[in-house]
Amino acid sequence: MLFSSVEFLFRFLPIFMILYLLVRAKYRNIILVAGSLIFYGVGEPYYVLLLIFSILVNYALCRYRFWEPKGPRTKRKRQADRRRKRALAIALLFDLGILFTFKYWDFAAGTINRLAGREYAPLLSLALPLGISFYMFQMISCQIDCYRGTIKQPPGPIEFAAYVSMFPQLVAGPIVRYGEIKEQMRERRVQAGDLENGLKLFTAGLGLKVLLANQIGTLWDTMMTAGAGNLSPAAAWLGAAAYSFQIYFDFWGYSVMAMGLGRMIGFRLPRNFENPYASKSISDFWRRWHMTLGSWFKEYVYIPLGGNRKGRVRTLCNLLAVWTLTGLWHGAAWNFVLWGVSFFLLLAIEKLGLGRRLERTKILGHVYTLVLIPVTWVIFAVTDWEQLGAYLGNMLGIHSGGAMVGTAQVMRYLREYGILLAACVLFATPYPVRWYHKWKDRWFGLLILLLIFWLSVRELIAGSSNPFLYFRF
Amino acid sequence: MNTTEKDIEKDIEENIENGIAGKDIKKEALYRCPYLLLLVVTVLGAMLCSDELASAILPAGWKIAAEAVEADGGALVPEGFISEEETGELASEGETGELASEGEIEKAASEGEAQNGEVRQASSAARTGITRFVSYEPRQTDSPYYSDAGRVAMTTEYAYTIENTSYFNDAAFLGDSRTLGISDYAGLDGADFYCENGMTIFKILGEEGVTEQRTGKKVNLNQVLREKQYGKIYLMLGMNELGYGNTQMYLEQYREVVEQIRQWQPEAVIYIMANLHVSREKDDLESEFNNININDKNAASATLANGTDIFYLDSNPLFTDEDGFLKEDYTFDGVHLYAQHYEMWRQFLLKHGVEGTGTPDAAQGTEEYTKTGTE
Repeated sequence: MLFSSVEFLFRFLPIFMILYLLVRAKYRNIILVAGSLIFYGVGEPYYVLLLIFSILVNYALCRYRFWEPKGPRTKRKRQADRRRKRALAIALLFDLGILFTFKYWDFAAGTINRLAGREYAPLLSLALPLGISFYMFQMISCQIDCYRGTIKQPPGPIEFAAYVSMFPQLVAGPIVRYGEIKEQMRERRVQAGDLENGLKLFTAGLGLKVLLANQIGTLWDTMMTAGAGNLSPAAAWLGAAAYSFQIYFDFWGYSVMAMGLGRMIGFRLPRNFENPYASKSISDFWRRWHMTLGSWFKEYVYIPLGGNRKGRVRTLCNLLAVWTLTGLWHGAAWNFVLWGVSFFLLLAIEKLGLGRRLERTKILGHVYTLVLIPVTWVIFAVTDWEQLGAYLGNMLGIHSGGAMVGTAQVMRYLREYGILLAACVLFATPYPVRWYHKWKDRWFGLLILLLIFWLSVRELIAGSSNPFLYFRF
Repeated sequence: MNTTEKDIEKDIEENIENGIAGKDIKKEALYRCPYLLLLVVTVLGAMLCSDELASAILPAGWKIAAEAVEADGGALVPEGFISEEETGELASEGETGELASEGEIEKAASEGEAQNGEVRQASSAARTGITRFVSYEPRQTDSPYYSDAGRVAMTTEYAYTIENTSYFNDAAFLGDSRTLGISDYAGLDGADFYCENGMTIFKILGEEGVTEQRTGKKVNLNQVLREKQYGKIYLMLGMNELGYGNTQMYLEQYREVVEQIRQWQPEAVIYIMANLHVSREKDDLESEFNNININDKNAASATLANGTDIFYLDSNPLFTDEDGFLKEDYTFDGVHLYAQHYEMWRQFLLKHGVEGTGTPDAAQGTEEYTKTGTE
């Protein structure tokens, strides 16, 4: 079930909220778990079992780590220590194993087979379970925090299940660390202000997703359907810009909806985006884009590897590891690796001093970022190497076949999408967030939000009379 | 960054405020939630006012009940498929039937093309084209939107003439995103294109209008087709109908549209173009989005071809593999052709010219090309 769907908005959410608010605070986690499993199970009737199984295993390991051993004190400490390590090892093996099997097996096997030139490893052709990268990362973070002792007491079973499965962040983040919401897991209040502000945030996110991301996405689709090899440089850049907007508003919108929903049930979920397209360097961009993922990798990969404390060479190696993994996290294909590695290169160059200099400039830094980011998104979006090569070539003007999507088409698209593009540019600046905070509690703001809600619903219903929600032919 | 700080401050402020109030929602007065109230009131109000909205919002069970009543009413209308007897004198199931797999059907299709020459002479005397259907064993389907038609419609057999691009100077194309592709990449600059993404046979003549591609403006075909006379009208719609209504409704609406156009454009040749199949990857038997459904729609619309001034053109053999799937390397999304392949489509359209009944210039032109015109 997507947040931006009629079933969620008008069936799941109202029923869930009424039940959730009717029961006493201490039973709310149960409702939350049940509701989340239903939310997940509607879209993934089989993989919901995988989710439940993973939660059970991880919870058991969590308890195992905190089990009070018996016996003499000296022995006890050693035992506890051993247990702690064993719990983490098994947990990592299990979580990463599941993630690998469902997400990366075919990718790895396919690569090996291709290199070897024969069929060594069979392909499993498993469908990717929705949100698996997100909930596995949450569980891993929880296990590592348990190991490190940053989580001092074991979570209760329902609390743990609710932490992993809570529907606002289950399928697309933000990736929350247990420590961040420990108190809220145990006890939280839903006040009128929370409901109200949560709904407003949710509406804002819905608008970003439905009215901006989904709409501008068709421009990118148009370019790709015409064929990456057929684009003039202008068309290629226009397409790249469209995709950059689509992915930003889609993801940001989803994160804002998650924050809003979290707020409505009494959580304060962390922010995931902070005007990324207004940054002046790529390093700055990654401090503002998908912030919870960035901090996850920093906390659990980069720093344990030694971070930047072990000399320049080690730092570079650590960065390379982090960015290769970040690339792979986004998808099991080589273009994602290339995408991650290209960020590594850019960040490494910036670390040498370029970054600091760029951030001091007024305009140059922005230009630099806004030119490079669309290129990286193209690498991200186009999985097929041949297409990717053609697209990047066309952006640079190298690949000069007959451009079938030329000036005439670009002019037509600019006419058709001009207003939408202008809106996208506006919403990529920091101003709309400021306006939101300024106006959200006034009547004028309420009416605007109401308008956004109904425009979005109109789009959704127009889409639901047609089963292909995001693609109209 | 200063926005974050502000937001955090604001959040803290709110926390304090809430902390002082310190009450759970149940004890709060609802006037603290004007937006929530507004939403609830407008949702309820809208559901009361608009049946469409209510049926979209309410669970599917309720919706199906409402549709079932409609379908019962609709069933009183005689089945459109009966028209097989009208169009296909030669296509009795016994003759061409018993072709079990689609592979064989495709072969039959190419044979059909090969036979064209012979048929051409026979029917040019009669001046009537024939739309053949090739039958196969229909598969079991379980969908309210479609069933397996059990037959594939072939391009109307007729003494087509080979034209040059000027043939399209008095042509209009009406369609969805695939027609948009023809408009963009086939290089038929003389023709008028009335098409846009998401267009359906139900909306094409509607009040909302459709985009005229040369100007980019929305126009109402209701007016345009009354005022401007065309020699040829090409129709290709059906993809966005795959998950809407059912094939019977689609056919009825198609018939209505064709009759309406005939009334406004008495001289025009009407081409009903087959909807292009989708790729194997895109083909999904679980959803409505598959070639069985597309073929169901195509076979239905083909029954409207009469071989005199309404023709059915199936360009699928150009672009599909032996199983009828759109070739993977012709498409990015499994639905639309890459820009460079529209050239083939253009050639196909040029090879299937019919002399307009009205415009004498065009008719002369076509005769000229008939002479040079065997593949």
